[in-house]
Amino acid sequence: MVDLPGRPSRRSFLKATVASAAVTSIPIGLPHAKAAELPSLEDYKPVYFDAAEWSFILAACARLIPSDGTGPGAIETRVPVFIDLQMAGDFGKAADWYMEGPYKADANPLLGFQSPLAPAEIYRKAIPVFQDWCKQTHGDAFEKLDAETQDAALTSLEKGGVKLDPELRDFFSFLLQNTKEGYFADPMYGGNQGMQAWVHIGFPGARGSYAEWVNNYNAEYPLGPVSISGERA
Amino acid sequence: MARQDPRKDVVVIGLGWTGAIMSMELAQEGLEVLALERGDDRDTVPDFQYPNIIDELKYGIRYGLMQKPRKSTLTIRHGLDDTALPYRHLGSFLPGDGVGGAGAHWNGQNWRPQEPEYRLRSYVEETFGADIIPEGMTIQDWGVTYEELEPYFDQFEKVAGISGKAGNLNGEIVEGGNPFEAPRSSDYPMPPLPHTYDADLFSKAAKAKGLHPFPRPSANASEAYTNPYGMQLGPCNFCGFCERFGCLNYSKSSPQVCILDALKRKPNFSYKTNSEVLKIEKAEDGKTVTGVTYFDEKANEEVFQPADLVLLCAYSLHNVHLLLLSGIGQPYDPATGEGVVGKNYAYQMTGGTRLYFKDKQFNPFIGTGSNGISIDDYSISQIDFAKEGFIGGSYITAGQTNGRPIQSMPLPPGTPKWGKAWKEAAGEWYGRSMAIGSHGSNMSYRDCYLDLDPTYTDRHGRPLMRMTFNWKENDIRMTQFMKARIEEIAETMNPDMIASGYKKDGSQYDVRPYQSTHNVGGAIMGAERKTSVLNKYLQHWDCHNLFVMGASAYPQNIQYNPTGALGGLAYWSAAAIRKDYLANPRPLV
Amino acid sequence: MKTLVRIVAVLIVIGLAALAAIIFVPVQRTGPTEKLAADWQAPAGLGKYDARMADCAACHTEPGGKPFAGGRTIASPMGDIYTPNITPDKETGIGTWSLADFRAALVDGVDDEDHHLYPAMPYENYRHMSETDIRAMYDYFMHDVEPVKNQVAETELPFPFNQRWGIRLWNWVTLGNPGFKPASTKVANDEQLSRGAYLVQVLGHCGSCHTPRNLTMAQAGTNETDAKFLTGGEIGGWSAPDLRGPKSAPQQWSADELKMYLTAGRNAHSAVAGEMKLAVEESLQYMSDEDANAMVAYLRAIGTNGPAPAEAPMKRDETPAGTVARIDAADDPTTTKLKKAVDLTDGERLYVDNCGACHFADGRGAPEVFPSLKGNAAVVAKETGGLIHTILYGAEMPSTSKRPMKLRMPGFAQRLSDDDVAKLATFLRGAWGNGAGPVTADQVAKERKTPTEASH
Repeated sequence: MVDLPGRPSRRSFLKATVASAAVTSIPIGLPHAKAAELPSLEDYKPVYFDAAEWSFILAACARLIPSDGTGPGAIETRVPVFIDLQMAGDFGKAADWYMEGPYKADANPLLGFQSPLAPAEIYRKAIPVFQDWCKQTHGDAFEKLDAETQDAALTSLEKGGVKLDPELRDFFSFLLQNTKEGYFADPMYGGNQGMQAWVHIGFPGARGSYAEWVNNYNAEYPLGPVSISGERA
Repeated sequence: MARQDPRKDVVVIGLGWTGAIMSMELAQEGLEVLALERGDDRDTVPDFQYPNIIDELKYGIRYGLMQKPRKSTLTIRHGLDDTALPYRHLGSFLPGDGVGGAGAHWNGQNWRPQEPEYRLRSYVEETFGADIIPEGMTIQDWGVTYEELEPYFDQFEKVAGISGKAGNLNGEIVEGGNPFEAPRSSDYPMPPLPHTYDADLFSKAAKAKGLHPFPRPSANASEAYTNPYGMQLGPCNFCGFCERFGCLNYSKSSPQVCILDALKRKPNFSYKTNSEVLKIEKAEDGKTVTGVTYFDEKANEEVFQPADLVLLCAYSLHNVHLLLLSGIGQPYDPATGEGVVGKNYAYQMTGGTRLYFKDKQFNPFIGTGSNGISIDDYSISQIDFAKEGFIGGSYITAGQTNGRPIQSMPLPPGTPKWGKAWKEAAGEWYGRSMAIGSHGSNMSYRDCYLDLDPTYTDRHGRPLMRMTFNWKENDIRMTQFMKARIEEIAETMNPDMIASGYKKDGSQYDVRPYQSTHNVGGAIMGAERKTSVLNKYLQHWDCHNLFVMGASAYPQNIQYNPTGALGGLAYWSAAAIRKDYLANPRPLV
Repeated sequence: MKTLVRIVAVLIVIGLAALAAIIFVPVQRTGPTEKLAADWQAPAGLGKYDARMADCAACHTEPGGKPFAGGRTIASPMGDIYTPNITPDKETGIGTWSLADFRAALVDGVDDEDHHLYPAMPYENYRHMSETDIRAMYDYFMHDVEPVKNQVAETELPFPFNQRWGIRLWNWVTLGNPGFKPASTKVANDEQLSRGAYLVQVLGHCGSCHTPRNLTMAQAGTNETDAKFLTGGEIGGWSAPDLRGPKSAPQQWSADELKMYLTAGRNAHSAVAGEMKLAVEESLQYMSDEDANAMVAYLRAIGTNGPAPAEAPMKRDETPAGTVARIDAADDPTTTKLKKAVDLTDGERLYVDNCGACHFADGRGAPEVFPSLKGNAAVVAKETGGLIHTILYGAEMPSTSKRPMKLRMPGFAQRLSDDDVAKLATFLRGAWGNGAGPVTADQVAKERKTPTEASH
């Protein structure tokens, strides 16, 4: 964000607080101290993904929202956990979607999702195809490649350079969308750990109370976020 | 065999805005009214309660309050020769279900159409000549005039508790209101909401260009309010969780906040949830309906519910679907232009320009669904259609509705979609941009219509409805005209960058990104039985004890959000039933 | 209902001591206080109206149950007490009761077999009911109420709490003369005030909650000539506010606002909660306009410092409650700090994160929709149970014909720890000049254990 010269930014302070908390594992939210109880990402036991898939998800998330530069990355905000839980839940199963045939997976994309596979199945089938492509094209599994090559591989996946069956064609858009969801959703879904992503952009979370700020034009909002469970930062 | 329940005076299909209004109006007549709602029961607490509703993922992204396509959807195609495919998950439009319907999770932008919109074909022919109407455009008059409807708009605005500022009070232009609105008999029941920084900048820029900015009329209350039913609204707190969410604050008008607790006190009113109507049953002579058959999910059985009067108050698409499934009225045939049910489906043409300012902070999370300042200088009544080469118009607004980061993370053009640059841009630019949007009309066309799909079926084994729709040159010209006007204003505001998104030549309808849940037409009202489904009182031409509410009655889409118009129409129809129909049930025209 | 428990406990002690003296003397029933003609007929609807004004349903109708069929469970540490079925069912209700039996229950607190009723039955107040009202109610219960077969479990308290004869002594000590006479000449000389006094003292039995209890747990005053009458009581950890002191609502609010509160359950300043919600829901909303005016007039006339001023000190807020006015309104220090939102204490931050959405930075809420927290009786009450309970479990306004909406505040038990609630409640009690003392986490922990809306 733009911290304008001469204008003290509450957000820079908040960001510093979050960063130090992340390093020292001090839970940010005073009332619910959930952060301290969570296993580290390495110790997390995925609910949906198997070990190979999990390695890919961790590596892919780390490139889609990397940890270097300003702002937290997908890894420290535990986005992979979010994706794992989503795959195991209604979204992964397409529980709300119309999934009756006949299917025409290669239809005009403007007519929307037409795969017979639910998102979790698309991840399951597409990851090995992409891994094979990485091995053939770059000589190793995705997670073993260096960051630059990983970015190139993901770009190929995004731009259609990796041949996927039509029923898997939405894989990258799901992966990217789910990564961003995990980054910005309420922490109760497993990602956005410590509300770091909200602090990063200056979104106050589940407060919903701004009547007094409507006419406070062009002013920095000073309060950090609160989560649905009452965690404060 | 279907269970048969005891007869009711009135069966209401769907308990959203129009269902709640009609139930209340007819319960006041002492009639036994039963409302059947296919979705769940919902109330402010616990269903929209603070802080649980402030959950972008659950409600904003996973559509927690919307219709589940698994239970109900339709198929879509672009043209008559294409094969339609199912709308498998929600995207372009978001029909609601459950008590309150879309009235629970709308944005609350509440407008009255302009006078010419009610008689659009006549207006165009009289003002510019019939020859400017392009081949294949099937616009019609509504069969009712603004003047007839005015008292009922007024009634709906008082029930819903609309905040705003009149611009035309009984013909007198009022400074600060919308000078181009049709004359109103009274001002809005509440003063306008305050507006955010983006709207303020836009307002000043528009004024400097000689345009006429005014506060967007809003169903988000600006103060504590008690409506004619004794129901209450509290002042809006700009929580930024409006459309797609139920209101945590009793601030956004909805059936829950404006009608239902008062209605539930009436002993002659009852409602059943998880009760989807499968079919409206026609009498043998075809001149009346005898009741409805619905699926009672709790009892897991079909039920025939006899009734003297059937009010179809579902979402516009479902109104049309039920008429088609019930064989009531002649289905429309695009090849011959014969038939009426499904005819003149139309959508909404919208576009927007985003302005990026490095040194401005908009705090986009401060918003309401109907926040902002609008101009109507380029509305239907103000444009020379002959000169500009299109029929239609838009209102233009700046007013942020939310800063929910999954859905609303606009970044400057050229920003990568992921990676370090995306992340840093999100940190840098969140809150540093604003938008000016156009919300415009969409005309009706011979080959944009609704019928039954030949292939796909729903969970009850009924054919899905099929939508045939694409964007047309006339409406693309209209939106391109708005783009030019908006960019002219935007430039005077000196942004660091701008990015525009409007339909352009060759744009095809894309069902994926959200555009608008303003699906209209298909069960249109009109002056003639041959060219419309309903007469001017929303009474079915063929079956006089069937009335069909909602935006399915619009012969083409207005340039405004549809709720104000359908609220007014519901009260107009209710008045006709109460004053005229009940004493002597018959075709009113 | 803790009051009841305490009454019983006191009674038992007294009763045991006086056992020999009173145990064998037969009960003397009070006769009619007025002779009515043999063919006297109650005016249409009077019995039903009186039953509502006396709020019989509040105790004798189970939540979700048939009207007056009893069975409402009143949990007490000594065991559950079940309210009886008072429908005219001959086997399980009061279908076999004579008028004299019915009168004895209201006036003498005994049943058809002269067994003493627990004083949860407010015969201390009903005792003064007019014979016409007793007759009208009897006719209503016998002929208009639908008989319901509902065998309510016998209340079986363990010894010694099951010795109901102890109540007799208490009755001798406590009960005044039957029938109703205005106690002061001022009230006696004014027809409206007399009616108001009757509604407040007798039918409405307001004193059963709003009058403090004396040493024997009887109401410490039953009419306006008693200094302690309606000066505030306590019920289940909630304060039933003082209705007569200079800071009391009848003294501070206009007559119209007081009437709105009583009949609609909400007004420009506040909303009913706890037991008062039930009173409005089941009883007061049905008051005739004339009776509502009489009740209001009486309550405003009996201030301990004299009658309420014609011009109410607390005015209905004429500045619109909307966000427009709020932003520029003159602020007190609390409001200013909350609006600035810099360097907030935990209590302030908790307010902004949990309460500000509806009650706003100025704590004023919105008339009739969101109660004002500034000077709110429940917020500043001596007993903090009501405030804590409302934060934890929310509150709902009753649906009334004037204001049908069941406006509900959600509970925050899931979101806030005991410590959070204590900090928040302490902030509320000190904010906007409220000037009430702090709340501890222990108090919150205790209240958290009683999650029902009415915790007693």
